[in-house]
Amino acid sequence: MNTAQLNRRLGGSRTAPDEVDPLLLWSALALLLLGLVMVYSASIATAEGSAYTGHQPTYYLIRHTVYLAVGLIGGLIAFQIPLRFWQQFAPWLFVGAVVLLMVVLIPGIGRSVNGAQRWIGLGPINLQPSELMKFAVVIYVADYVARKLEKMDSFRHGFLPMAAVMMLVGGLLLREPDFGAFVVVVTIAIGILFLGGINGRLFAGLIGLMAVGFAFLIWSSPYRLERITSYMDPWQHAFGKGYQLSHALIAFGRGEWFGVGLGASVEKLFYLPEAHTDFLLAVIAEELGFVGALTVILLFAVLTWRCFMIGRQALLLDRIYSGLVAQGFGIWFGFQSFINMGVNMGLLPTKGLTLPLMSFGGSSIVANCLALAVLLRVDYENRRMMRGLPS
Amino acid sequence: MRVTRSPLLDDSLPSWRARLVLGLLMVGFIALAGRSLYLQGINKDFYIGKGESRYERVIDMPATRGRILDRHGDVMAVSTPVKSVWAIPEDAKLTPAQTRELAALLDMDSREVSRKLAADRDFTYLKRQIAPDVADRITALKLPGIHFQNEYRRYYPAGDVTAHMLGFTGAEDKGQEGIELALNNQLAGRSGSRRVIKDRRGQIVEDVESIRAPQEGKDVVLALDAKLQYLAYSQLKQAIADHKAKAGGIVILDAKSGEVLALANLPTYNPNNRTKLSGAQLRNRAFTDTFEPGSTFKPFAVALALDKGNVRFDTAIQTAPGRLTIGSATISDAHPHGVLSVAQVIQKSSNIGTAKIALAIPSEDMWTMFDSLGFGQPLKLGFPGEAGGRLRPWKRWRPIEQATMSYGHGISVTLIQLARAYQAFARDGDLVPLSLTRTESVPSVGARVYSQQTAREVRTMLEMAVQPGGTAPKAQVRGYRVAGKTGTANKLEGGVYANKYVSSFVGFAPASDPRLIIAVMVDEPSGGRYYGGEVAAPVFSSVMGGALRALGVAPDDTLKPLQVANIVPAREEM
Repeated sequence: MNTAQLNRRLGGSRTAPDEVDPLLLWSALALLLLGLVMVYSASIATAEGSAYTGHQPTYYLIRHTVYLAVGLIGGLIAFQIPLRFWQQFAPWLFVGAVVLLMVVLIPGIGRSVNGAQRWIGLGPINLQPSELMKFAVVIYVADYVARKLEKMDSFRHGFLPMAAVMMLVGGLLLREPDFGAFVVVVTIAIGILFLGGINGRLFAGLIGLMAVGFAFLIWSSPYRLERITSYMDPWQHAFGKGYQLSHALIAFGRGEWFGVGLGASVEKLFYLPEAHTDFLLAVIAEELGFVGALTVILLFAVLTWRCFMIGRQALLLDRIYSGLVAQGFGIWFGFQSFINMGVNMGLLPTKGLTLPLMSFGGSSIVANCLALAVLLRVDYENRRMMRGLPS
Repeated sequence: MRVTRSPLLDDSLPSWRARLVLGLLMVGFIALAGRSLYLQGINKDFYIGKGESRYERVIDMPATRGRILDRHGDVMAVSTPVKSVWAIPEDAKLTPAQTRELAALLDMDSREVSRKLAADRDFTYLKRQIAPDVADRITALKLPGIHFQNEYRRYYPAGDVTAHMLGFTGAEDKGQEGIELALNNQLAGRSGSRRVIKDRRGQIVEDVESIRAPQEGKDVVLALDAKLQYLAYSQLKQAIADHKAKAGGIVILDAKSGEVLALANLPTYNPNNRTKLSGAQLRNRAFTDTFEPGSTFKPFAVALALDKGNVRFDTAIQTAPGRLTIGSATISDAHPHGVLSVAQVIQKSSNIGTAKIALAIPSEDMWTMFDSLGFGQPLKLGFPGEAGGRLRPWKRWRPIEQATMSYGHGISVTLIQLARAYQAFARDGDLVPLSLTRTESVPSVGARVYSQQTAREVRTMLEMAVQPGGTAPKAQVRGYRVAGKTGTANKLEGGVYANKYVSSFVGFAPASDPRLIIAVMVDEPSGGRYYGGEVAAPVFSSVMGGALRALGVAPDDTLKPLQVANIVPAREEM
């Protein structure tokens, strides 16, 4: 079935076929909806059992639904914005995100949870600037590369300015601390620089330097080292450092092929911490089995693949900025979902990263929806251009 | 700094880089899929096993302990559902107001509650066995980390009246004393178990399987008659108060069936509230405490002499001058009686008369008789600490010892042994085993100790003993012929006889066809009177009278006015 047929079957207009990439749209919507269901399933017990939520079982469901609604409305608006506007205002957006990262560090404004100062309280809502930064860094670094395309080979003009900016952003993120966001933001930036043609040897050197730097960071902060060791052998510290991971692994094992059934997870009953946020996949794996986990992996793979394809299409149309934005978002979704799922399965050390489009979290959901909207806009403009219409 | 230019950049961005990045990400996703396959397909059993060890639990399904009923079906002991309150301290983050509220409902000090909730443990009991309605009120507070556990608590409606008979249960609902211990196997039942999955807060979320169904305990129907028990208890209590005695005991036996109809001791305790329990209260004296029986023992040796044909009912025995020297020891009667018939020896309770009759009997025969009567060994009814009493081997008896033993010194018995031995007189010479539970069929003939004729003759002598001219006219019961014998024994303290006494009376009625045997013992009466005829006999009389009327036993005597008040009982020997 080609996309035009799909689009028609789904009620799309016959006269305006293929206005957006259906695989991207449907894989993203599938993840968003499955996320909503699973956040409710994973959170129902903790919500009911916690005084913090006022013992309302639907506490997280209601909030997640509101976040999705806000995200979709925001997405609809963002979809209306042509990419040239995004490029035009990219530095301002980025500066805005940096300012918010500074503001969150101001005592009294930034809200601290579990020793990490990551949220800015705005009345009833909590804004997480690091999530906005993930979005902004794509928009901005793509613009940086597109503008300096000719100089990308140069260490001094291509690499050094961005390295300085990243040190600033990275430093701010580590102050919170939000190591997971730091890794994602830096990876996005380096990824886009790489796609933008940064010098090969320079890149290799940079990777080496980063590896050393990460190693240093991990060794210098004991809690990160503990997370590393616990992930190596969760059963060694099964009731200490490895507690969370060991329960995530048990959830996977218990799920077997087809899962224990929606709503029937035992791990979510106060055993597995962060079941509705960072460890949502473990609950999916327990309740929906290997089939469910594999479906989520496939959906993310499709999503990432479509991002890169849309980006490639744009590049072929000589829309450098749009192409880099699309592939940048592809790196974001692909990398962060890989890290999160890898952590859930014990492939990677535990760190606080949500599963994009699925985990509970307002800032992250809204930022993801905005990214999707921009992606669809890139695709929309590609298709217009191919038909000779103005973007 | 100038580095090498990529030729690809000349027209567009190098597309291999995008392919490389996408390829790496896809490799990552494939790795995830492989890992997921490993976790959920290949190695799943390991993780499932780990999960089971974390949250599968085998829990007990307690069996309800059987009830204890009296012979008419009245409930004497019953298990009622109660709840125990426990907490997960980590989860139980209570505000000071909540803690106070909880402490008030639990009837505890709020500081103690706080201290328990601050404990560095996963589990702590706040209070065991609270009433279900209190538990409901605590549940209504919706406190985090506070949980309940269903348990049973044993309740004894008759409280201290039946304390020693029933005993009580301890931790884990196991019998520790009395019937609860003696018949524990029957009462306890067998708890079942099932495998469940619990959430981290200890709530059962899933039933995996039932391993064993619980087997409920069986009810026990006692021989005990609650009405008689209360009567016996209250009369004994009154007598102990009147005579300022240290302790006492009373036993009512069914002469025909051997059933224990009532059994009480004082001091006693309330089994429903066993805090501050002392050893003295706990002692089931009728079973555990031995004493020198004194004169209540006299009929046994006399009966044996009658049985062997050594003497007859009316054989004359010279008891003058009230002293008798055996070897180097001398025994005496408090009042010289002169020549007495064998019947009068019992009626007047003459030490010398009894001793003379006993000395004619071979030691071995006398020992065999005591042994057949059940002395010297515990009854083995299952009560804890049942004493056997002291009955030394006959080969080492000296004549003086045989003489004193015949009137109840140098030998020790328990009250229940003594009551049971009187079966021989109440039952035409045989003994049946005692039964704590209601027996459906009455054993016709038991183990014979004396001939029927001997038993009947002794019965007549014992009837004489409670009539005017005997030692215990105060034991008489209006409308019934009563037979019995008093005993007043000097207590041994550190091997010497101290100025302390045990007053006792054992008897049965109606004498024409004995139905009940009652044994009363009052330890250390200190109200000035201590003779069995004055302390124990009145208790016997009122209990026997009340019991016979309660049982609707036909009177076997004319309703002539009793001659008690103006008669001074014959002084018995000690």
